[in-house]
Amino acid sequence: MLLTQQSLGWKIKSALYFITGSIAAFLALPIFFIIALSFGSSQWLVFPPPSWTIKWYERFFSNPQWIESALTSLQVAIITSILATLIALPASFALVRGKFPGRDYLYSLFTLPMIVPVVIIAVATYSMFLSLGLTGTLVAFVISHVIVAVPFAMISIINSLKLFDQSIENAAVICGAHRLQAILKVTFPSIKPGIFAGALFAFLVSWDEVVISVMMASPELQTLPVKMWSTLRQDLTPVIAVASTLLIFLSLFIMLAANFLRKRSH
Amino acid sequence: MSVRIYRQKWKDASLLLPIILFLGVFFLIPLIGLLVQSVTQPQLGLTNFAELLATSTYLKVLGNTFLVATLVTIFAVLLGFPLAWCITLFPKGWGRFLLNVVLLSMWTSLLARTYSWLVLLQSSGVLNKILMGLGIIDQPLPLVHNLAGVIIGMTYIMIPFIVLPLQASMSAIDPMVLQAASICGASSRTVFFKVFLPLCKSGIFSGSLMVFVMSLGYYVTPALLGGVSNMMLPEFIVQQVQNFLNWGIASASASILIAVTLVLFYLYLKVQTESPTSSNTKD
Repeated sequence: MLLTQQSLGWKIKSALYFITGSIAAFLALPIFFIIALSFGSSQWLVFPPPSWTIKWYERFFSNPQWIESALTSLQVAIITSILATLIALPASFALVRGKFPGRDYLYSLFTLPMIVPVVIIAVATYSMFLSLGLTGTLVAFVISHVIVAVPFAMISIINSLKLFDQSIENAAVICGAHRLQAILKVTFPSIKPGIFAGALFAFLVSWDEVVISVMMASPELQTLPVKMWSTLRQDLTPVIAVASTLLIFLSLFIMLAANFLRKRSH
Repeated sequence: MSVRIYRQKWKDASLLLPIILFLGVFFLIPLIGLLVQSVTQPQLGLTNFAELLATSTYLKVLGNTFLVATLVTIFAVLLGFPLAWCITLFPKGWGRFLLNVVLLSMWTSLLARTYSWLVLLQSSGVLNKILMGLGIIDQPLPLVHNLAGVIIGMTYIMIPFIVLPLQASMSAIDPMVLQAASICGASSRTVFFKVFLPLCKSGIFSGSLMVFVMSLGYYVTPALLGGVSNMMLPEFIVQQVQNFLNWGIASASASILIAVTLVLFYLYLKVQTESPTSSNTKD
């Protein structure tokens, strides 16, 4: 038996523990490293740093360019998250409940933005916005981000909708509620965690998006990852470690929130 | 078919209108436009594809893309397998912890992690310092801005995408099957290679297919950790658009990338038996 701990010989077991431990360390290493580095005093990114400081944080927060790009990111991610959820919500209902043929194919079609390489979506939408003269605008950022965020919102909503027992909604209808009333008063409250988790995932996808944003950006309007990207191409300043650390904590926070919401829906 | 059922179907399907309109206008039409451009820019015909397959620098980019994707897939499977196995071995406690490490790394900002590897791998970076401190090497190894950098960074990114499907297929295995094999006299080695591994096959296959597809289309990590001589297809496409305004060649290479991706994705769907929209899931 290989699926219980007792069944493995101690040699295999210790080898497995050692290998797995190393791989887990490999996965966690860059995250801790970058957080430590953002507090290091050396601008040459020496590790371990000669002393600890928060001067890179001061430098980040006193630079209007970093703040502006962070605010743009926030703005784009919030609008993207709302739009993606509004588009994904009715689609999820239709895909889970609908009685029309070809639902599996449509599901695959709608998740295609997750499969098609982002670079291709970036080039294709860039070409479109270029001919419309919209590159470098908030509209271009939001539309292109919604494309890649919709599948994430949809999958989360579909999962919570599948876990919801529809007979409860039917019971409300039998008791005299209108179907829409039943959905609003019975179904929505119980799938709400799934909808919020979907919105959070959409937010995260937009917040972390680099490739499309680099194509859409203009000198006047750029998101935080774009600012990081263009700074990275010049030098490896610890200010990027600060930006990275902020990104890490935001991802962590959103992931925990989404996880909490998913647990509540079970 | 009665009129009522027919009407109901229409009502159900009409909820798809927003998503169809949005993705149709902003995703499918530009995508199709890109595919069309590959045979119309600058003139009608297959000249772009001919040029792509005849120019040695372009061919090198194509070859390098597939080489990197293959190597990354192999390394990701080798490293992901023990991790998935351990998560399955300890369903609670440490297993939960390991799973959270995997998820954390998957959801942490891609740019942040790539920057971190850039710093870790540079010639004055931590890794080279440790290796030199231990006396293993005398001079810093060139670990970044070359193939090694791309492979390390990409393998790191892809491990979660192999661990999750692999772990799912491992935890679906009935332990009794493995027990039966050892009761019947099979050695641990035989149980592993003849029973356990074949049962993990679908997980390994779908996971590595996904990793391979994703590696082919990755832009950020190869662009930052790779060198000039080992450019991959995504960076090549962006460069053709941004630097050379060469939409024909860019569209043709994009078309190749889309075609390969879709074929492999179709294979992936074939391997995955469970339908994503069916309501009778065992969750």
